[in-house]
Amino acid sequence: MASDTDYDSDGMRGNGDGGLSEGNGRRRKHPFMTWRNNLRALVVDNARTCRIMESGLLDAYGVEVEAVGTGEAAVELIASGETFDLIVLEMFLPFMSGPETARTIREMGISCKILGIAPMYCEKDAQEFLAAGIDEFLEKPFTPELFIPFLMEIDNQK
Amino acid sequence: MERNQMHKHIFLMRQSFFDQGLLDEQFIQLEELQDDANPNFVEEVVTLYYRDSSRIILNIEQSLERNPLDFNKLDNYMHQFKGSSTSIGAKKVKAECTQFREYCRAGNGEGCMRTFQQLKKEYAILKRKLENYFQQSRQAGPSETACRPRMN
Repeated sequence: MASDTDYDSDGMRGNGDGGLSEGNGRRRKHPFMTWRNNLRALVVDNARTCRIMESGLLDAYGVEVEAVGTGEAAVELIASGETFDLIVLEMFLPFMSGPETARTIREMGISCKILGIAPMYCEKDAQEFLAAGIDEFLEKPFTPELFIPFLMEIDNQK
Repeated sequence: MERNQMHKHIFLMRQSFFDQGLLDEQFIQLEELQDDANPNFVEEVVTLYYRDSSRIILNIEQSLERNPLDFNKLDNYMHQFKGSSTSIGAKKVKAECTQFREYCRAGNGEGCMRTFQQLKKEYAILKRKLENYFQQSRQAGPSETACRPRMN
């Protein structure tokens, strides 16, 4: 396998070391799709592999991506004035959970689309997460088939 | 081995991962993210997966030694592990994660332990096969085909 590289630890904003971009300002040269508007997404997932895949896919489909590993980091980023058209939020985050993060973001007056994601669909989890303010609950993997319809909706409404 | 033959061998090796159910479509998504700017993306992500998930496996192992078992904790660990395994398309590993979580929810310690052994086996098999695949791919160098072969 490839030799170890010093990656950011979970919970920190990824800076895209080596070839593993977590978004965060990097844009793909030739995305698979283009949009009428500039679309920005925030990925919140504590699992690095997941975060890289989610960011990578959104970036590949023409979305500008920021990625963080905790709910606290997401809230801090939004509180600093960063705006997003889409937030992809893992349910089972450490410390501040996905539902707690969603609730806090909504209480800050943020009305953008929030997609809640989890490794397994569970009705109870979905209800909890939806009640906290997400717009849709999706089971991983986070694939283009799942997110493109939301991007189209967002792009049309902007 | 002649270069074309090497590429053919690698192609068949890759195809076998899907035929044997080791990988699913998510691995193809991973491959599609590899480009000239990130020429080793797939190998790097898989390496990261094995590095990060080895910590979770150790946590699960230690938790399974406790008496009584904390099924909530085990479920949480496995939840994380499943998410990462899903993200790289590790199909058999993912299936074992699902089974393990079902045993956790049923409070079935023996089932958890049995499934965990099987999970570690699948995890190791996939690691070995992918390591071999990446090594041979590096030796063969870039293929001349315009498009990456897709899974049927």
